[in-house]
Amino acid sequence: MLEVLAPTQLLAQSAFPQAMGEGVLAHYLFVSVAMFTLGLVGFLTRRNLIIMFLCTEMMFQAAGIALIAFSRFHLNYDGQTFVIFVLTVAAAEAALALALVVFLFRKRDSLSAEAWTELKG
Amino acid sequence: MDMIVHPVLLFVALAICGAGVALSVPRRRFQASLVGGIIAATGVGILIVALGAASLAGEGLLPNPAFHVLAIIALGSCLQVITHRRPVYAALYFILSILATAGLYILLAAEFMAFALVIIYAGAILITYLFVIMLASQSQVEGQEEGLAEYDAIGRGPITATIASFALLATLTAMLFTGVNQVSPQTEAEAARAQVAVLERLPGKIEKELVRADLIERGDRVTGLTDDGGSAVVATAGGGTRRVALPDSVAPTNTEGLAFNLLGDYPGTIEIAGVILLMAMLGAVVLARKFAQIDEEAKAAAAAALADGDADGGQPHA
Repeated sequence: MLEVLAPTQLLAQSAFPQAMGEGVLAHYLFVSVAMFTLGLVGFLTRRNLIIMFLCTEMMFQAAGIALIAFSRFHLNYDGQTFVIFVLTVAAAEAALALALVVFLFRKRDSLSAEAWTELKG
Repeated sequence: MDMIVHPVLLFVALAICGAGVALSVPRRRFQASLVGGIIAATGVGILIVALGAASLAGEGLLPNPAFHVLAIIALGSCLQVITHRRPVYAALYFILSILATAGLYILLAAEFMAFALVIIYAGAILITYLFVIMLASQSQVEGQEEGLAEYDAIGRGPITATIASFALLATLTAMLFTGVNQVSPQTEAEAARAQVAVLERLPGKIEKELVRADLIERGDRVTGLTDDGGSAVVATAGGGTRRVALPDSVAPTNTEGLAFNLLGDYPGTIEIAGVILLMAMLGAVVLARKFAQIDEEAKAAAAAALADGDADGGQPHA
């Protein structure tokens, strides 16, 4: 038996339309972990500081998909509430990281992460 | 402890994905973005089809067809973010992936978070990124390919990074696909009880909906809900009480449920979020400030000019 929800049904007033199966949850979780992995690959391979921070934002977003999928699966709002705080932290991180990037760019005139290799501990 | 997708199929599909991603990452010799993207998409496609078959065999449910479109857009644009050599395009592709993710949130019945994601991420954070990319871009250097900086054109150890990351992905998916059978969703009855808990705090909304549905008169007041949550106790304007069955339109929306969860259950965390944002703002202001260099002689001259100005009765000198 194939049961598919129309988008209009999902946008209806009721907060959680009906229970979601484990198989459907697995689809969303796969998208989430795949996006996280792409973010990780990008963070490790790119050498532009801005792109590296963009990849951390991508990992935040992947975590958000998993949280909201679980929130839908358990018909519970806690996951969505937590995503609000993930967004807050992402915004704070973007502000600080970009200020740092501008600061570092002024010093070396380059966005390369390798311009700062002497910072090793 | 069975995986919902056969482990061999899972790892082969992930290896195909990894090969595609490794091909499309920028590097010195060659970058095969298109070919790599197609190979990675094949791997993802195999996995999604296997997942769909497992899901159908399990509980006969498939995700909304829109899920497949949005997932492909989201993952494809994420691949573009990490492989595009021009940072501005990478940021624009990231906005596309955010829009697709917002679509996934809507499919997951999280409307408020979908709109918040578009407003905060696509509207605020990514615009800041775009500004910084344009602010901090190097002037074009002669002799470099298409005016690209060397650090944008060549990635750092793409093969190692991809292998490490996809080992993590394989572990995570193996765990998820094993464990997803062991979690039990909340039953409809529990969800209905949670909805009633939200509704009990919204007598005004119930009143409005009942008046709109012509079930009660204007001036009647809703005093509470019955124990089963199926009907409202109404104090009529005449002084009596009666019970009115609740129509479907009264069900709390996503925003209402989220609001009570956020403000009712976790009020303290909002304060913490405020402090985090304040510290981030302070830090950003301090870090991005430009240090002005004024030499001592200029300072002395300025001070003398100020002192002269005071002696002349407050008239500043040029």
